[in-house]
Amino acid sequence: MRTFSRYGTALLTAVMAGGLALSGCAGSTDSGSSTTGSDEGPITIACGAMEDLCQAWTDKFTEQTGIKATYVRLSSGETVARLASAKDNPEFDVWHGGPVDGYGEAVNQGLIEAYTSPEAAKIPDEYKDPDGNWTGVYIGALGFCSNQSQLDKLGIDAPDSWDDLLDPALKGQVSMAHPSTSGTAFTTLWTQVTRLGGEDAGMDYMKQLHNNVLQYSKSGTAPGQIAGRGEAAVGLVFSHDCVKYQEEGMTDLVVSFPEEGTGYEVGGVALVAGSSHKAAAQAYIDFAISAEGQNVGQTVGSYQVLTNPDADTSDKMANLDDINLIDYDFAAAAAAKPDLTARFDEEIAAEPKE
Amino acid sequence: MTAAPLTQTPPAKPSARGRTRVKQDPVTTTILALVLLILIFLVLLPLGRVLGEALSADGLAVLSRLASSRTNRATVLNTLVLGTVVGTVGTLVGFLLAYVQVRVAFRGKRLFHLICLLPVVSPPFAVATASITLFGRNGIISTQLLGQEWNIYGLPGLTLVLSLSFFPVAYMNLVGMLRSLDPAMEEAAASLGASKFTVFRTVTLPMVVPGLGASFLLLFTEAIADLANPLVIGGDYTVLASRAYIAINGEYNTAAGAAYSLVLLVPSLLVFLLQRYWSGRSSTVTVTGKPTGSFELLRANVARIPLLVVSVAVLALVVTVYAAVVVGAFVEILGVNNSFTLRHFEYLLSGIGNESMIDTTILALIATPIAGILGMLVAWLVVVRMRRGAALVDFLGMLGLAVPGTVIGIGYLVTFNRPVALFGVNIIAPLAGGSAIAGGAMAIVMVYVARSMPAGQRSGIASLQQIDKAIDEASTSLGASGAQTFLRVTLPLIRPAFLTGLVYAFARSMTTLSPIIFITTPHTKIMTSQILAEVDAGRFGNAFAFCTILILIVMTVIGGLNLLIRGTGAGREPR
Repeated sequence: MRTFSRYGTALLTAVMAGGLALSGCAGSTDSGSSTTGSDEGPITIACGAMEDLCQAWTDKFTEQTGIKATYVRLSSGETVARLASAKDNPEFDVWHGGPVDGYGEAVNQGLIEAYTSPEAAKIPDEYKDPDGNWTGVYIGALGFCSNQSQLDKLGIDAPDSWDDLLDPALKGQVSMAHPSTSGTAFTTLWTQVTRLGGEDAGMDYMKQLHNNVLQYSKSGTAPGQIAGRGEAAVGLVFSHDCVKYQEEGMTDLVVSFPEEGTGYEVGGVALVAGSSHKAAAQAYIDFAISAEGQNVGQTVGSYQVLTNPDADTSDKMANLDDINLIDYDFAAAAAAKPDLTARFDEEIAAEPKE
Repeated sequence: MTAAPLTQTPPAKPSARGRTRVKQDPVTTTILALVLLILIFLVLLPLGRVLGEALSADGLAVLSRLASSRTNRATVLNTLVLGTVVGTVGTLVGFLLAYVQVRVAFRGKRLFHLICLLPVVSPPFAVATASITLFGRNGIISTQLLGQEWNIYGLPGLTLVLSLSFFPVAYMNLVGMLRSLDPAMEEAAASLGASKFTVFRTVTLPMVVPGLGASFLLLFTEAIADLANPLVIGGDYTVLASRAYIAINGEYNTAAGAAYSLVLLVPSLLVFLLQRYWSGRSSTVTVTGKPTGSFELLRANVARIPLLVVSVAVLALVVTVYAAVVVGAFVEILGVNNSFTLRHFEYLLSGIGNESMIDTTILALIATPIAGILGMLVAWLVVVRMRRGAALVDFLGMLGLAVPGTVIGIGYLVTFNRPVALFGVNIIAPLAGGSAIAGGAMAIVMVYVARSMPAGQRSGIASLQQIDKAIDEASTSLGASGAQTFLRVTLPLIRPAFLTGLVYAFARSMTTLSPIIFITTPHTKIMTSQILAEVDAGRFGNAFAFCTILILIVMTVIGGLNLLIRGTGAGREPR
């Protein structure tokens, strides 16, 4: 103890200072990106979809173009963190999949650059960034993913309104993700803000819902499988995730939508700023937006609604005409996100339940 | 005979002499310099970058809110409670099993040992995932068998899962220690008429106190730095590690994440200093170089039966959890649809998993000897060779484990994804990220070493503290160099600790997750991050299949290691 305080502290300070000084120098002479690869690839995708879809997308692209493409599966937050920390020497060329709220954050930080694909002309304007920073490739509507046998046990019907979720019978039976880590859960939160007409009213609703929530999971898709295994009666997820779990054997699951209106996500594709394989990356984005590229999802059980009018539809996809979608303002949502999630964390997540 | 080499200058040797001796031995000085350089490069450099982030405006904003925000205070308290509970429970369980293994007469010791090691060889979230399936709100045992509805989300679940995951660390440390105790003291006590229990309480227990302390420290730091389990089973029980993760991955705020991590360092550091002080107080020299006898095994049923019953209960729990993992790999959805299928293995072996199995194994195999030898070198320097600064070197080595994996990962990414330059000259090419040399594999090996070396270091230190310094000095005064003494005298004595270090390093490398998330590249796929992706997506079957394969790989390699180490030279055969 004495030895530590006498010499240790001095040494510790010295070494720490040394470490900091060294690290300060690190990378000060950035060699740029000229050393690796060529314009034609191979390219690397930061992929925000499930692993099998990521693999199917890249395989199909390579098959079509002959350009080698590899991917790393990352959540939106991980992608932004990695793009930000490797800004000077980007390791990715394209970001594909995951809600565009995250892309909005990347735009704010200058991590992605505009590219208007010729294919994008077909995509409706509401699913494209006006400045061409990202293009929407699929849409998912927020729904209730319920376990029928758990509902039967509780003696209630599948919820079809947001107010149904506040039923005391559902105490500890609602599973949703944490809005900080999950785009899905943030969509849920912003949906309340929009439909109830203000942040305070939205927070009030979430506060009431809190008493019925089992736990705020990290992943946006997790509540679907938590309901699928009967850990909770209702999961709040995008309906295509619920369908995917049904397809994979969780046959007790049923999908329903709130009649007051529900939020939705647009999954995007974007060019990473400073990509050293720009031509190949742009070819990939063209592919991702094309009908063939979008159709890949159905081959691995991912039934998102597709943005390309030429893409195939399936009766396993949600029919957006039958669902009451709220007027979801992505720019406003992205702008409000930091404060709103901080409030959620402070005022709701850690509160005891009644 | 005081053995407090870490903290107090032994009375017989003035510190001045210690200092000169180190100076006079160029080998020791060289080793010290080399080890320091490696440690600085592995841990301090990336950490420095992250600390820089924590002290930026965003990070300082978080730090200043720590005391004022009730939520943040609760998070800090949760973290401390979790570390203390898991440290205590895990150490007690580990000690019980180690004591039974070494001192109680029963059949099937080999099997007992293997079951105790099982949790080390698997990714921690295998336990969490299986526990939810077994004991969750619709669990196979809790609901379907017993008709209960347990809520295992939160502190109870975390305690169960983390204690189950980490008790083997305590077990391995304490088995090594109990085996190397000199039975003479116990025999003396017994021949003076002390009862078995009195011998245990007044002789055996005090001798293993440093081992218990070391285990508690390791488990405490492991528990509070663990990320996967709080995410999977933590419920609303937020700890600093998961808060930092949310800050980085949810709020896109690396600085805030770094700031929470900085707070996480404080309790780790305090426990570390406490343990150092505490172990310095008790006499621990037990390996004296004099011939030792062997222990008399406990045979009296009055003590044996209760001990065995409790141990078997613990082991049954371990076996059940892992059985769930293996069975879960072969059925559609465990607990929901229990029909047999090979679908999960087909999914993995059809291309998604093959590469990562090979990559992960090779990288872990590269990291293992480096981590094992480095850990022993640090332990040796700290306990035997150094006076001044020993505490600092020890601390530097432990940093790789004390820092949450997320922070190390971010640190590696920001530090090594570009050339490292010193005075304007690039001294090292980029090591991490997609455009790095060797596809980013070097950074992964470095993380493996940084994360797994401290365990070997701790068990090495615990083991060396028991060895009388006279043995080392005798070798030196007979003309052997530092390196010769280390290889010929010290190493054989700490062979069990070294083996523990190697086994742990390999298992740890294979199962490391949180730092890896940030530096995986398409060229080097890592199993753990793919398993988390499957757990995340709710496809437990695929995750279970992955875990089963991973466990098989680790078991095979550990078996090989055991043969290799036991097969060479005159090691002390465990009885």
